[in-house]
Amino acid sequence: MVAPCIQDVSFSEKESSHVGKLCLQLNCNSDCIHVLRSMVAVMTARAGMDELRSNRVAIAVDELFANIATHAYGGKAGRVEMETCICNESDRGPVLIFDFRDFASVVWSGDIKAAANHEPDPANLTPGGLGLRLICKVSDHCEHESLEDGNHWRLIFNINDGEQNGCNA
Amino acid sequence: MDVTLNFEREDKDDTHVLLRVIGDVTIHTSTRLREQLKPLFTTKMQEIHVTLEQVDFMDSSGIATLVEGLQWSRLTGGRFVLSGLRDNVKDVFSLAKLDTVFDIEDNTTA
Repeated sequence: MVAPCIQDVSFSEKESSHVGKLCLQLNCNSDCIHVLRSMVAVMTARAGMDELRSNRVAIAVDELFANIATHAYGGKAGRVEMETCICNESDRGPVLIFDFRDFASVVWSGDIKAAANHEPDPANLTPGGLGLRLICKVSDHCEHESLEDGNHWRLIFNINDGEQNGCNA
Repeated sequence: MDVTLNFEREDKDDTHVLLRVIGDVTIHTSTRLREQLKPLFTTKMQEIHVTLEQVDFMDSSGIATLVEGLQWSRLTGGRFVLSGLRDNVKDVFSLAKLDTVFDIEDNTTA
């Protein structure tokens, strides 16, 4: 079992665009989801986000982690690495970024945009499919990259004018 | 933030029950909510009232469990009511476009 390992990384002058990058390595089937939420609380506070936005970021991070645990690792143990930082992007300005990396043999092949645009039918509600919809609703950019040995996910939250709802996969 | 989920059940009478949910409803705890909810949905139960006043955080697994509750209530014919939603929990319902689908009351009066 992978014990949670947290690092608050200091950067050299060259990397000064990154403010207080945090890194976390954990087991996806552990009950450490509260550790993730603590990191979200720290980073959203650093970004100056209000309580509602901070909760929305927590929802997206929580949902993405749950997605990895459920779909990539099938509920079994598996390593997940998460990095988060605040940085300046030329086209977006200051952003809060969360990168997730798993090492699962299952490569995610869903359609983020379809999930984002799926509207619930009140007469025929189904309990599934909510997670990705929430992720896309609250993040400004969500992307997935298939790797040879797993998956890479990136969530971007604009700090100044949030929730443009851009999703790429 | 809570990593456990607790419940207080109050039977008003044979047909009317109040369930208080205490803690965070996440992928790790939502199965416990499901275990508490499912037996309540019987044909003789007229109203199942779930109060979420003490729920600080709910993710899609919690919402999905409540969607199941709504489905069960439609099958058994009883009323399924939610109340006491905090702003951030209400926000998640709204983001999922389910705030108008559920019967949501603003207080815990059952």
